[in-house]
Amino acid sequence: MATVTRANLGDFSSIVCFKSVITGMEDALGEKATAISLISAGRARGKALAKSLGLSGASTDLAKIAALLNEAVGQNGTRLTAVDSITDEGSMIKVYCSETICSAGEEIGSPRKCTFSMGAIWGALEEVTGLKLRGIHTESVLRGGTHDVFEFTKVD
Amino acid sequence: MANALGAILQNFVAGTADIQGAALVSPDGLPLASTLPSGMDEERTSAMSAAMLSLGERIGKELARGEVDRILVEGNNGYGILMGCGEEAVLLVLANQSAKQGLLMLDIKKAVSQLKAALN
Repeated sequence: MATVTRANLGDFSSIVCFKSVITGMEDALGEKATAISLISAGRARGKALAKSLGLSGASTDLAKIAALLNEAVGQNGTRLTAVDSITDEGSMIKVYCSETICSAGEEIGSPRKCTFSMGAIWGALEEVTGLKLRGIHTESVLRGGTHDVFEFTKVD
Repeated sequence: MANALGAILQNFVAGTADIQGAALVSPDGLPLASTLPSGMDEERTSAMSAAMLSLGERIGKELARGEVDRILVEGNNGYGILMGCGEEAVLLVLANQSAKQGLLMLDIKKAVSQLKAALN
């Protein structure tokens, strides 16, 4: 089926509008329900992205996964976030991102946490590795970190 | 713990008339254990349940309805009931249209008490 494309405006939209969607949802639904919804949406997006790239169960090489994800959602991709590195810390996988869309436009010191960005990485990692994961946003560029760091614990 | 929670849910669904399925979900919308009818996506159902309970709590607060005891969705095919299960979980129960609400709530409260004990 044909899809509508934007002949003049192209595929990209401003962060300002995306952030307005988030703050508007938070105003109407509350922060928690919004966060749950955006993380869920991100996970679905990440899984679909990995599938579309033919990466389902493709690799456990985290450096390779980081490079593939960065290509898909970083500067040369959709520009959701740059994926700088992924490390294996035993029972935990840590993903170091920079320039996340969730932190962009926020004041330094803001308590905001990544939801959609983290969900997208989460879903993609689950699809690529075949592991079931549980994620949290730990370090933030808004609160003194050099990166937005997402920690994923392997779930049995 | 997941096995114990799963066993409680299975017994609850199998042993209670008119109940079609149940899921125990973390407050951030991830599945902890579930016995759902086939065709229902566990992850989507979990996210939806946690978001719904959270939204209900917001309605309770913003519209001065107090603490939320449960959220009941009544459709022509039956009921969907959401109930907090301590700080760590949310219970979703699906029941058919012939379920008696009073008995259903009693059974759900019993299950919640068992699940809370297992979670602790």
